[in-house]
This record gives sequence, C-alpha cells and structure tokens, in this order.
Amino acid sequence: MKKILAILLAGMMTATALAGCGDGQTSGDSSNPDSSGTGDAPGLAELDAEGFVDAAELGDETGATIKVWAPDAAVNLTQKMCDAFAEHYADKNISISVVAQGEKDAATQAQSDVDAAADVFGFASDQLDNLINSGVIAECAYTDNVIAMNTEESVKAGTVNDKLYYYPETTNGYFLVYDKSVVSDEKAQKFEDVLAACKDAGKRFIMDAGDGYYSCIFTFTGGVTIDGYADEEQTVQNFVDYDEDTAVATLQAFAQLIKDYKGTFTSLSVDKIASGFADGSCGAGIDGIWDIESDSEKLGENFGATKLPTINVNGEDKAMISMYGYKALGVKSTTKYPLTSAALALYLTGENCQRQRAEQIQWGPTNKTVTEEDVVKNSAALSASVEQSKNSVAQVHITSTFWDPMANLGNQIIADEWDPSNADKTKELLTATIKNIKDE
Amino acid sequence: MIKSYKLRRHLANGFIYLLLAVLGIIWISPFVYLVMHSFRAEGVTTVAYLIPHEWTIQNYIDLFTGAGGTAQLNFPRWFMNTFVVAIFSCIISTISVLMVSYAFSRLRFKARKKFMNVGMILGMFPGFMTMIAIYYLLKAMGLTQTLVALVICYSCGAGLGFQISKGFFDTIPRALDEAATIDGATKNQIFWRIILPMSKPIVVYTVLTSFIGPWTDFILAKIIMLDSRDNYTVAIGLQLMQDQQFKNTYYKQFLAGSVVVAVPISILFLILQRYYVEGVTGGAVKG
Repeated sequence: MKKILAILLAGMMTATALAGCGDGQTSGDSSNPDSSGTGDAPGLAELDAEGFVDAAELGDETGATIKVWAPDAAVNLTQKMCDAFAEHYADKNISISVVAQGEKDAATQAQSDVDAAADVFGFASDQLDNLINSGVIAECAYTDNVIAMNTEESVKAGTVNDKLYYYPETTNGYFLVYDKSVVSDEKAQKFEDVLAACKDAGKRFIMDAGDGYYSCIFTFTGGVTIDGYADEEQTVQNFVDYDEDTAVATLQAFAQLIKDYKGTFTSLSVDKIASGFADGSCGAGIDGIWDIESDSEKLGENFGATKLPTINVNGEDKAMISMYGYKALGVKSTTKYPLTSAALALYLTGENCQRQRAEQIQWGPTNKTVTEEDVVKNSAALSASVEQSKNSVAQVHITSTFWDPMANLGNQIIADEWDPSNADKTKELLTATIKNIKDE
Repeated sequence: MIKSYKLRRHLANGFIYLLLAVLGIIWISPFVYLVMHSFRAEGVTTVAYLIPHEWTIQNYIDLFTGAGGTAQLNFPRWFMNTFVVAIFSCIISTISVLMVSYAFSRLRFKARKKFMNVGMILGMFPGFMTMIAIYYLLKAMGLTQTLVALVICYSCGAGLGFQISKGFFDTIPRALDEAATIDGATKNQIFWRIILPMSKPIVVYTVLTSFIGPWTDFILAKIIMLDSRDNYTVAIGLQLMQDQQFKNTYYKQFLAGSVVVAVPISILFLILQRYYVEGVTGGAVKG
C-alpha cells in the first residue's frame, strides 16, 4: 500500500534530499568539535550553593532552546527545575521545554531519529552501551564534579573505557515490599519467614519470576554474576568465576522453597502487587522503586519495604543478590547547545535537585550527601533501595541475549513439575542457561 | 446406530449448536470482558473474576476529563486527532481508490495491464517494510510528528487497493457507458453521474475500510510521532496507558478508551449499513 507513496516521495526526495542531508551533515560536523571541546577541558567546575555553574561555562551560547526528556512522574518537577535554571541565567535567554518520555524507551527513540531526540534525556543505565555505540550520547563534560558528588557505584556504571558518559540521577532497582499487618519487620528479613507469614494469612507473595530482570536473583544469589563483556564486539556476556556446587545448591533451595509454598508464591507481573495490596490478596512481593508510590498509597501506614530477604542454603543464610541499575541524564552529542545542555544536566543531577526529587517523587538519590540525609533515612523504600544496592550487580554491559534464557530459568524453577531435589537436572539447566546467554 | 431420523437430526443439530456456542463464547468473551470491566468501580488493574462487583461510569468520565491521574495523558485530544486524520484520509482515499478503479475498469490505455501488475506486486509487500524509508522521506519534507504526515501515509497509497472496486465496476454493464456516451456525456460525467450512484456498496466498503485504518494503525503512527504526545492517535495513546509507569493508574481508563474507540466506527457503520445492504441486494437482483 505505502509503496507508491515511497516512490512518489523518492521523487520529491531527490529535489530536497541534498539540501536536507547537507543540513544534517553540517550541523553534525560543527557540533562535534564543540562537544569534544568541552570534553577537553574537564576539571572541577565551581558550583554555587544551589548547584549552578558559573555563567562563563555556558560560553557564548545565548538564546538556546533545549528539549529535555523526563518520565511522566517527573515532568512537572523537572520543568520547575528547568525554569529555575533558565531564570538563573536570565541574560542567556534560555528556553527549556520538558517533554514526557519514559526512560526505558529513551535510547530507542533517540537512536531512531537523533534530530528529534531531546538535547538532555533521561535513560536507564543498561542502554548506555547502545547510546555510546550509536554515537548519540556525548561524554560527560563535568566528569570531576560528577565523580565528586555521586556514589562510586553510580559513577562506575556510567564509565566505559575510562570515560564517563552520563550524569547519574537516581537509583533504579527492586527490593522487598510488604504489608506490615501480614509480615512483621522482623520476619521480612528471611525469605522463609516472609513466605510462611503470607501463607498463614492466606495471601500471595508476588514476584515476576518469568522476567529475567527478577529471575536473575536465583543465579546471582548463587554467585553466578555477570561482569561486562567477554569480547570486543560486546556480544558475549562475561560471567565471574563461580562455584558450581554452591550455585546449584542455591537454585535448589529456591526451587524447594517455592514448591513448599505453592499457591503462596505466585509469579505475576509487578503491577499486580499494588492491585494485590489494594484488594488484600497480596501480602508481600518484590517490586521496583517506580511502583513505590502506588504501593504505599494502597497500604498507607502498613506499607513496609526493606532489602531483599535472605535465603537459607544448606544451613547458611545468604543475602539475595539483585540487579541494580541507575537512571541518568545524557547530553545528545549533536545538540546545538552543548555547553548549556551540559550545565543543565549537571544542575538537574546535582545535590539540590536530587534532594527535591527524593522529597517530592520518592526517587532514590545517587548523590553522596543526599544519601546520608533524613529524607532517605525516614523513607522505608529509599533506605531499602540504598541497602539493596549493596547486595547487587550493576545493570550495565548486558547483552541482549541475557534476558530470555534467564527468564526461562526462572520459569523452569517455579514450574510445578520441576524437581528441586534433582541436582543433576538443576546443573544442566544452569549450564544451558549460561550457554544460551553466551550464545555459544 | 440410531434409527430414528428425527433423533439423529436433533443430535446432529445439538452437537453443531453446542460447537457454535462454544466458538461464539470464545470469540465474544474478550469483548464482554472489555465492556464490563470498563464499568468496574473496584480494583486497580486486572481482577480474578468476570463480573464486576460495583458498577460506575467514572472510568469514562476520568478518561475525558483527565481527573483520574496526574500524568499528561490527554485522551480527548488523541481522540480528536484520530477523528480528524480518519476523516481526511477517508475522503482522500475513497476518491482516489474509486477513480483508480474506474480508470482501470473502463479506460483503455497503453500499459494498463502493466500498471495493474505493478500495483498488484507493490501491494503484496507488507506496509511496514518501507516504514523507516517513509520516516526519512517525511523528515526531508519536515513533516514528521505531524498529523498531515499521517493523512499522507494513510491516503496516498490507497489507490493501490483498487482490485476489489475494479472488480465491482467490471460487473456494471458497459452498455450503460455507451448509452451515456451517445447522449454526450464525458468520461468524467459518466463516472460521477452513472457509475458512482450504482456503486453504493463498494463506496460504502471503501469509506469504511479507509475510515477504520487510522483508528487501528499503531506501528506507523508510533514511528512518525515519536515523543510528540499532543499528536498521538488513540492507538498509541492506549498503548501508552499500558506502559509500566501508568498501568496502576490507567488500567480501567484504558478499558474505557478501548470501548470508546469502537463508537465512531460503529456509528459510521450504522449510518452506511442501509446503503450497504440496499446496494448489495439491488446488485444481486439486476444480476
């Protein structure tokens, strides 16, 4: 159907293409030296009390129009922050528009048409490699500031080949959420107790074991964790050296527990946790920081959150290891206003703005100072997130082949017909999973 | 063996009706679920039972007033966007399809067969194959993220769908054309005054299919609109409501929205249905 259109347009294209391409080329070429120019002059920029850099850092860029991508929950707040930024540099005549764009699709959207992408965009840390490889993201222009302000892990996750690319904005992970009237704070420390408490109350424990993002807990806890790529092309996942017996024993422990609590342990998508809290069918679950607002709204006073519980493997309580990522801001490499964009990204991820986000929309900070503040300590969810980050594997440098085999492993282990006592079968599954992830 | 013919017939019929009933229930249950749960008052996302405990029209009110959530999901705007795009592409593509069909059916010109073959072959490629190319062509013209782009995409290639209406025109006796020509009508007049009034069913068919297109197309609109939410159509908008960040707020409004989408299409069908049936039977009698 649309073929004829393509042919017609191809005709028009020949008339307009040269001009169109020409524009794209020149703007790309001219902005590259600019962005590398800012990269050439790193160092610790002076920030004032509110987190603004000196106006001189913005160079001779005036009248900049900047588009910022923020997820819906943060659009209003981000617009306020951007207005404050524009007001601070009033003589630069900056206008900033914040457009809603979910972080999980940001990289895809930016790559599909970089010209239509935002100058400063929020994205999740696992998309970083794609953004770097496609040349969409510029290097961080204030490396030293970002390193000085943010937690080591968050900076590390944004560093590739010794170059820092993003401006860490918030933590992005999952942990245990529970209804305090079902699971006491004390019982929430052990997986066995959590499941027992849910069973006693006749309520479900919800975890999305059919999603590799969550089911990797099973292998990570057993010591089978990932560590970047094994090859230059970034196609093969690298695993750390692990003890196969421990890994298998851990998988068996999970499978046994899930089997013992069949009917209580339910594998459902995480949005069912909030609705389960609302209708009283769910006692606890493994949920992400992005759902905390709706979870706590449904439970009110009874909302509890803590780091993932321990699981007993052959008499030893092991902390569950999760996948833990970050959300960050990136500056588009082809932006017309690299200096202003970089200063804006630095401001938006600075201490002041991170505190506001933690207070107003419950985003866990990556800023060292804010992490230690009451806003985090007084929030069960934010503290749980910070605690969980200590038992986690960074969600960076992950091949696309990781998720499906990992999801399969989760689905196998929780299946009714799975035999937890069969060590050979478990070992086989683990080996096959790793083999599939490595795509061998 | 059952001897009685009557009993056998009843048994056979009973079995057939049972089978049909089962198939019917399977087919209709998603719609029943959708409509019933769009009126559900309790619960946040899905629930484990079929019949809602409490009924409300609040979901529909929230959908159009934006009162249910905090985010910027503007369903009325998306609805209007789709409606406008649907009307324009409906008009343009109906006219273009009918004209192309008429030309291929009635006029004889060089390379007519070849053009038809080319049209057939181009029509066989899946539409999404050229999507990326279309995006960059639109970009070269500065039309991405606009509703005009959608109208262009939905209507400009429509002429390729000429086969069905050409087949219909072929059944109208050429003697009518000849008689009109003798009376001094031009080809243009014949098309508008003779052929079109006799082709109501196919006009209605073309109008319906081209009107439905924009309401159901997702992938092309998604690619063209990117982050421009003000220009979204209902299909992308509804998908956005199912996004992880909105699911807990907008699930019931999503159901309501899905029901609302069916409204304009149903209205158009009810209006045109009369002509549709009239035309079909009329054509049948004339043979």
